[in-house]
Amino acid sequence: MTAEAGAAAAGPSSHWGPAAPAAGAVLRSPMLRLVGRRLLAAIPVLWGVTLLTFAVMNVLPGDAAQQLLGANATPAEVHALEVKLHLNEPFWVRYGHWLGAAVTGHLGSSIQSGQTVTSTLAQRLPLSIELLAYVFLLTIVISVPLAVLAARKPGGVTDRLSMMLSMGGLSIAPYVLALLLVLVFAVILRVFPAIGYVSPGESIPGNIRSLTLPAISIGFPVACVYTRLLRADIVEQMQSEDYVITARAKGVSQWQILVRHVLRNSVFGLITLIGLNLGTLVGALVIIEPIFSLPGIGQALLQAINSRDIPVAEAVTLVFAVVVVLANLLTDLLYAVLDPRIRYGRPTA
Amino acid sequence: MAAPLPDSTLFAPAAGAAAFTAERPRRRAYNLDIWIPAAILVIIFAGCFLWPLIGPVPPPVGGSILSAGAPMFSPGHFLGTDPVGNDIFSRILYGGQVSMEVALAVNAIGLVIGGGLGSIAGYAGGIVDAVIMRVIDVLIAFPFLVLALAISQGLGPNERDVIWALSFFSVPAFARISRAGTLRLHGQTFMLAARLSGTRPWRMLLRHVTPNVMPQVATFALLGMGVTVILEGALDFLGLGIPDPSPSWGNMIALGQGTLSAQPSLVVVPSVFLFVTVVALNLLGDALRARWGTQ
Repeated sequence: MTAEAGAAAAGPSSHWGPAAPAAGAVLRSPMLRLVGRRLLAAIPVLWGVTLLTFAVMNVLPGDAAQQLLGANATPAEVHALEVKLHLNEPFWVRYGHWLGAAVTGHLGSSIQSGQTVTSTLAQRLPLSIELLAYVFLLTIVISVPLAVLAARKPGGVTDRLSMMLSMGGLSIAPYVLALLLVLVFAVILRVFPAIGYVSPGESIPGNIRSLTLPAISIGFPVACVYTRLLRADIVEQMQSEDYVITARAKGVSQWQILVRHVLRNSVFGLITLIGLNLGTLVGALVIIEPIFSLPGIGQALLQAINSRDIPVAEAVTLVFAVVVVLANLLTDLLYAVLDPRIRYGRPTA
Repeated sequence: MAAPLPDSTLFAPAAGAAAFTAERPRRRAYNLDIWIPAAILVIIFAGCFLWPLIGPVPPPVGGSILSAGAPMFSPGHFLGTDPVGNDIFSRILYGGQVSMEVALAVNAIGLVIGGGLGSIAGYAGGIVDAVIMRVIDVLIAFPFLVLALAISQGLGPNERDVIWALSFFSVPAFARISRAGTLRLHGQTFMLAARLSGTRPWRMLLRHVTPNVMPQVATFALLGMGVTVILEGALDFLGLGIPDPSPSWGNMIALGQGTLSAQPSLVVVPSVFLFVTVVALNLLGDALRARWGTQ
């Protein structure tokens, strides 16, 4: 999951982000044009995702009616329930109904619990968002210092150590890391709880403790990928950029150049990457949340797939897809805001 | 004027990379950074596929309950036995076969289909590009794991279907890489020369685009194999991959989860093998990328 992201993004600094908005073409509000174009392009993608989800759920053997009634139900009972739930209608009709309702904001209700999908999401999203925010914080806290220490002296001892650490970290599977963390910190040391979620309303320290191991499991491998990319970018800039030579000629210390000038430049490449990677992080929720019994949307999705609960599965994948598409858009915008070369529509180096 | 057309540039730097040799890391004597991970991979590969044929390896399933729960280094069971009495070392080897086969197949499918689609999209441009890439975008925006979960449930969990499920991840990734590589060739003189001399599109793709995109795609395949090994384990771990009695590293880890505090070696041993394999694949991919000067 992580190495893939690394490989896909491991380019020279100028290739880190997605392509700059049609460089030099438009001077009047290129930003708005970019937003408009990207939002338009997102529509077929989101539509495709909903269609794919529907098709995939449709292919699965057995349906929600069978699941609800259990193995002992007679075919007649199953059929009656299917009719009631409109499960006997052709695929395209059901998809059409769902899509028509979804466009007007009605995501339907869960076949299993009868609860509306919107309220399920409202219940479960905060946890997942909190977890992802924790992961985000963790990746920054781990990767930036590690990368800076490594890049200070390329080929030095700290560099080699941090590169070894990050190579190890990006190669570890999140679920393996999760189990090892549980073994060490929950079973042996008893510092963190192995499973369960404490809401911030009950106890804020307890809440943070209950999310720490999951956040490390998801965040550490990703942070290692970022460390390597950030280090590579810093080293490249230190060696090749004119402004570094200028700063050096002015007598700015090496450390100052690194932190004040180069890091500032490199970090926005990193932010872009983090945004583009949000998709894989969201996917990791599906694996990690069940391990730690966290009632987030990852767990909801797994349950929905297992019980053939199409409305819930649709809604969760739609949320995932919207997150991915929006994150990509936001990172593009952030990129443009942070990099004046793009803002003024001049081609990047 | 045109650069000599490379026949097989798999081991040559990509066009234009020569100018940047000064920035490439100094090559170490004997290329230890390539040979060490390669040797580890060969050992793991040979161990998994050949050792069960020639060595005294007990069968991975159907162990006797009498020998259950043996600790590590017990006689006859080098890595001990699991709660139903199967030899762990044997399960590691047979499980490794599954991981390797899946990793190779998934990346081969990704390389051929995804690489092909990406090159076609990048070379043709226009409407073809738009249509192919929108489909790829859908696959990328779609939470991959969901698709994998659903497919392996729908098709019934077995090795072949795990491969198909994981291919939904590899195809779009390869397509993006090879499209980017193809786009970078657009302005090159040799491409122009070939087109001016009347080369047909399919021949352009096969003879000029493919060899130049290959180094990037091939190094990505190594990294992709690492990812695939992890993801295959994830499916097994969720109970949606290789079904229980037959071994795989992922389902061994999942089974060990229940006895994590009592017998942690059940989780640790397959995890170590998984980890070493993925590290070796990543190291090799990284080293080759630096060597070939591809980005």
